[in-house]
Amino acid sequence: MSSEEKFVFESLQDCESIRAFLEALTEGVGSKHLVLSSGGERIELFPQGLLQVEVKARRKGGSSKVSLKLEWKDAPRVETTDRTLSVSSN
Amino acid sequence: MITFEGLSENFRFLVLEVSGQLRATHEFMRTPTRELFDRITGRDDYIDNLKTIIENKCFSRIHTDNSLDRREIHRIRAIHTIAVNLERIADFCVNILGQMAHLSDPGRLRADEYDPIFAEIEASLNRIIPALEKEDLPGALAICRSEYELDRLYEAVFHRTLAEMSDGRSVHDRITTIFIFRYLERIGDSLLNVGEALIFSVLGEKIKIKQFEALQKTLSTSGFGDSLSDIDFRSIWGTRSGCRIGRVERVRNARSSTGDAEGGGGPGGLGSIYKQGNKKKIIRERDNIARWSTLFPNLVPEIFGYHEDDDSAALLVEFLQGCTLDEIVLTGDGEILQNAMFVLLQTLHAIWERTAAPGPVPTDYMRQMRSRMESVLQVHPGLRRDGVSLCGAGALSTEQLMDRCEAIEKTLPAPFTVFIHGDFNVNNLVYDHTRQAVRFIDLHRSRDCDYVQDISVFLVSNYRLPVFEPALRGRIRWVMREFLLFALGVADARGDATFQARLALALARSLYTSTRFELNHHFAKDMYLRSHYLMERIVAHRGPWEGFRLPVEVLDCGRNAIMREEAPCALAS
Repeated sequence: MSSEEKFVFESLQDCESIRAFLEALTEGVGSKHLVLSSGGERIELFPQGLLQVEVKARRKGGSSKVSLKLEWKDAPRVETTDRTLSVSSN
Repeated sequence: MITFEGLSENFRFLVLEVSGQLRATHEFMRTPTRELFDRITGRDDYIDNLKTIIENKCFSRIHTDNSLDRREIHRIRAIHTIAVNLERIADFCVNILGQMAHLSDPGRLRADEYDPIFAEIEASLNRIIPALEKEDLPGALAICRSEYELDRLYEAVFHRTLAEMSDGRSVHDRITTIFIFRYLERIGDSLLNVGEALIFSVLGEKIKIKQFEALQKTLSTSGFGDSLSDIDFRSIWGTRSGCRIGRVERVRNARSSTGDAEGGGGPGGLGSIYKQGNKKKIIRERDNIARWSTLFPNLVPEIFGYHEDDDSAALLVEFLQGCTLDEIVLTGDGEILQNAMFVLLQTLHAIWERTAAPGPVPTDYMRQMRSRMESVLQVHPGLRRDGVSLCGAGALSTEQLMDRCEAIEKTLPAPFTVFIHGDFNVNNLVYDHTRQAVRFIDLHRSRDCDYVQDISVFLVSNYRLPVFEPALRGRIRWVMREFLLFALGVADARGDATFQARLALALARSLYTSTRFELNHHFAKDMYLRSHYLMERIVAHRGPWEGFRLPVEVLDCGRNAIMREEAPCALAS
C-alpha cells in the first residue's frame, strides 16, 4: 500500500496576498505540475486528464466561505524492469 | 465540631493506633524482643486497612453527599491527607524495626538521643485530634514546627555518628544508626504534612508553613493584631505568576492590636491583599508602588506591610474597592462601561503627559515573543510553522518572520518613554464607579518604556477575553476601538511617526504569547494566525515606516471606524 503524502498550510491573508497564492496555483495547473513544500516535506502533483472540480460557497451567521476542490486519478505508474518475459516451447 | 458518622471514629482509631505503634517502637529500641517485633509488624496491616477505609469514606462522602459545604469538604480532604501521612509514619516504625536487625549491638543506640525525638513525635500526634476538632490553628502550627525540632535533633545525631566513624570501627553499626534516625526524621516530614492539612482544614487554604509565617509577620508589622483567629484569609486569585495572592480581612467585631474597631480605616479596614513569593518580584512591586504613589497618590494601592526572608518576600497592600475592568466590560451597565473607559483614557493621558521623557529608546517586542515561544509550544505544539512554497508563492517560517521583524524593530526605536504599567492587562485595572477612579494593580513590571507596550497588552487582553456571544463581543470591540482611537490620537499629537509599525510588532508579540494562556485551541490558533499576519505585513512593507498603516482588522474592531479621516479622539487632541 502506498504511503499518504500530505501538505497543509493555514494562514491569515488579505485579498491581495491571497491573489498571489491563487495565481501561483493557477500557473501550476496550467503547466500540469504543482510543487508544494513546507520545511523538509515536499509534494509534487501532476494534474492530467479529466479533473473533477467542486466549488462550494456558503454564508451563514456573519461568516462566509468558498472552497475549491480539484480531484483526479493519477495515471498508473509504469514499472520499468530489465527482466524480459520470454515464452518458449520445447 | 462537624461530625461524619463513622469517619471520625475511624480517624480517631488511626491516630491511636499510630501513637501505639510509635510507643511500641520506642520500647523496641530500648529492649528489642521477638514478641514486640511480631506485635508491631502485625498491627501494621491493621493500620493499612484503616487508612484504606478512611480513604474510601472520604472519597465516597465527597462524591455522594451534595449537601456538604466548603468547610466540610476541606475537613474531609484534610482527614484524608492526615490519614495517608499517619499510615506512612507507621510504615517508618516498621522500617526502623527492620534496620534494628542489622545492629550487632542495639545498645549502641543512645536513649538520650532518641528519647527526645519520640517525645516530640508523640506530642505532635497527641495534638492532631484536638486541633482538628477545635479548628485550632496554634495546635496545627505546633505540629508543623515539630518538623524543625526533629530535623535539629537528627542533625545532631548524624554529625556525632559521622565524626565517630572516622576511627574506622563499627562502621556497619554506625551507618545503621544513621538509617534508624533518618526514619525518625522522615516521620517529621510526615508530621509537617499533617500540620499543613490541619491549617487547610481551618483556613480552607493550601498554605505552607513558611508562607504562613511570612503572612503572620507581615500582618503584625502592618497593624493587624497578631491573633490569627481574628483574620479571615482567603484566596482570590490563588497562585499567579509565581506569587501567592490572597485577601485578608479582619473578621467582624475583631479588634486590632491598637484597639481600633473593624472598618475604622487604616490597615484592614476594607481588607487587604496579601502577596507572597519571589523576593525580586515582590521588591520590584513594592518599589514601583512607591514610585507610582509619588507621581499619582491615588492611582495605586497603599502598602500596609512588607516582610522578607532569605528567598521570598511578602507584601500586604490595600484592597481596592470596585471591579476589575474586564468585569465591567463583560457584565457592567453600558453607561458605567462608557464612564470607565472615559476615566481610563483621561488617567492614561495624564500619566503619559507627566512621565514622558525624550528618547529614542530601543524596543524588544520580538525578543519578548521569542523568549515565550517555548511556553507557547508546550501548550500548543502546532503553533509555529515552517517556511512554505506553494508553486513558487512563498510564506516565511515563524522563526524567519521573527528574525526579519527583529531586524526591522532595531530601526524603529520609540521616540520617547513614559512610565508604563508593564502588565496592562484589562484585569489589572480596577474601576471604582462611586469615586470615578481607575486604579492600577499588579505593578511589578512597571518601568520607563515605550507606551506601545501597554497599549498592545491592553488591546490583546480584551481581544482574548474568552467570550463569543455576539453582543458581548460587540462591547469588547467597542472598548478596543475607543482605546485604539485614543492611542492613535496621542501618537498623532506627539508626532510619533512610527507608532503604527511598532504597534504592529507589539500586537504580533502579544497575540502570539497570549496563546499560552488559552486552552481553546481554535481561539489560540486564531491569535497565532493573526500574529503571523501582522509580521508578514511588516516584512512586506516597502517605503518609509511613517507610511506603514496598522492592519486594524487584525483586532476585528472595525476598520472604517478607526481609519476615518477626522481627528481620532477629542481627548488626545
